[in-house]
Amino acid sequence: MILLALRNLWRRPLRHVLALIGIAVSVATLACLGAFGQGYRDALQSELNGMGMQMMLVPLGCPYDAAARVLRGKTLEFSLPQSALLTARRDPAVSLAAPMLMAVVPQVHEGRTDVWVGIDQSTRQMKPWWKVETGAPWFTGKNEVILGAEAAELEMRRPGDLFYSPETHRTLRVAGILQRSGTADDSLFFVPLTTAQAMFHQTDRITAIAVQLHDPQQTGAASTRLQTIAGAQVVTLSEMMGTFLNLVGAVKTLLFSLAIVALTIGALGVFNTLLSIVVERRSELAMMRALGASGPQIFALLTLESAILTLGGGVCGLIMSAFVGRALASVARQWVPLSPNEVLFKLTPNVAANCFLIGLGVGVLAGVVPAWQASRLPPALALNAD
Amino acid sequence: MACVVFDAKRCDAGAGRTRLKLVGENFPAVSNDIKMETLSFAVEADGLTRIYKRGGEEVRALDGVSFRVRDGEFVSIVGASGSGKTTLLNLLGCMDAADRGTLRLAGHEVGAINERARTRLRRDHIGFVFQHFGLMPTLTVHENVALPGLFGRRIWPSRHQKSLDARADELLERVSLAHRRNHRPHELSGGEMQRVAIARSLLNTPRLLLADEPTGDLDSATGESIIELLQELNRDGLTILVVTHNTALAAIAEHQISLRDGRLIQDSTDQML
Repeated sequence: MILLALRNLWRRPLRHVLALIGIAVSVATLACLGAFGQGYRDALQSELNGMGMQMMLVPLGCPYDAAARVLRGKTLEFSLPQSALLTARRDPAVSLAAPMLMAVVPQVHEGRTDVWVGIDQSTRQMKPWWKVETGAPWFTGKNEVILGAEAAELEMRRPGDLFYSPETHRTLRVAGILQRSGTADDSLFFVPLTTAQAMFHQTDRITAIAVQLHDPQQTGAASTRLQTIAGAQVVTLSEMMGTFLNLVGAVKTLLFSLAIVALTIGALGVFNTLLSIVVERRSELAMMRALGASGPQIFALLTLESAILTLGGGVCGLIMSAFVGRALASVARQWVPLSPNEVLFKLTPNVAANCFLIGLGVGVLAGVVPAWQASRLPPALALNAD
Repeated sequence: MACVVFDAKRCDAGAGRTRLKLVGENFPAVSNDIKMETLSFAVEADGLTRIYKRGGEEVRALDGVSFRVRDGEFVSIVGASGSGKTTLLNLLGCMDAADRGTLRLAGHEVGAINERARTRLRRDHIGFVFQHFGLMPTLTVHENVALPGLFGRRIWPSRHQKSLDARADELLERVSLAHRRNHRPHELSGGEMQRVAIARSLLNTPRLLLADEPTGDLDSATGESIIELLQELNRDGLTILVVTHNTALAAIAEHQISLRDGRLIQDSTDQML
């Protein structure tokens, strides 16, 4: 029966390949979406967990936008008073409060923007995974800079080199270069907090404070207390995660609608193909009925043909998604609110199996009506066709 | 007594008329009535009527057709176009149901069984030969012959497949086409295609072979070879009913049924019996 179904499909290769492509595209779309969703969730979770903090204090405004900007190494329009740092550090639940002052320096001629971050020792404590590639692990003087791996490559600097910043009229010595971490840190220029405040004329101001708690269970209570700091608002890690996933969820819903459209087109392709098969092979199917095939056997044959078609489409779709998924994820990276540096495309066996089964189910369902029509063909047609 | 008739047929391997004589000769004391009851019939049609509706008008494609076909007979059904030949063949092949009348095929009352049982009856007891051969273009000659076996019941598919392959090979030998086993239908001549169709119709060892214009698409020489093959099968005991315009084919049939406007106008065995 399988051989017969395969031979029948091979009879009109172009038409069947087109139907197969329809299913393949819809399965690929679904798989890309599923893999992107899975990849984004995992990467975001890993990146936020890797920050070593439970919450962030940011200036008033949209807290999630502020948090996203800070996490992506971008500056904010507003800042916090340094007194907020002292208040946060006094909170009994807080084990570490790390200030950041972020400033951007556009390099118009080179078509890029440098981000400078002022930090103190607490930042170093919050990021124990920071590894220095070469040079010193921390500043030994006021006018020193630690470069992220990409920033060092761009500037072609080594530890000990002098670094003149024409925008701020300062000459800094490169203290060390960080190992590549795959995070936003790779492209940043780190300077002591006081140096940054002086360089960018932000005396006693900071952009955000990353807060690490003694016990993550105290997040709720600590958040309520820290919320009372004037001009500051608290964004917890789980809130950030939820918000980013919701924002991505909206994009996903839009893309999912596109996937449904693709799936519908694929299903219609299978429906149309199967219907053509029934019309074209009317007398042949009736002849098979005359030779003793029962209605259910003809139904099974046609369903088998649609299953083979969608099975092939599903496999091709998964292969297709494995190839184009990464490229699409890198394009989508630009549109998502917080784009982790990790791979955003994770085609797990679970995601692949789900998409494959959905494609197969829809394809086979699309073939049900034509198969049913074929099973109802009267065998007498075999003689009438003669 | 039926057993004796059957044996006589096997031994004689000739026409039904000869066999009837044999029966009479062997059992001179038996009355005609008793002889009729003990004969085995492949087909018993009584008052078969089939009415189609065309645009609100009733068309009687068959109108009260009655006849009987004994096991091992060679029957030709003749008539002009529109006389009801194909309608009759549809009914005999369990592919359509009569509006009135009764039909017994191989001892089964066709009107009393459901669609599923009719399909089984068709598969297990009836073989079909079509004018345009009806071969599957995508399958090889061997696969075409084995095709009806696909629709049979099977408990162990692999074992079934082996016996199916052997049976298909045996039938290809029988129709002298073993050397064409792996060819596709389009690589065969018309006569060869019809031989393949005949081999296919024999796969399930049918009791009745229905042929619709089996020589209609063939030249006269090829047609003759097909007629010879059908005669050979009939000599081996197969009951054959053939719808034909071919006078040579109609002439070799021991039993002729003529139809006109859906009515039976002549049944050669009426005189004979």
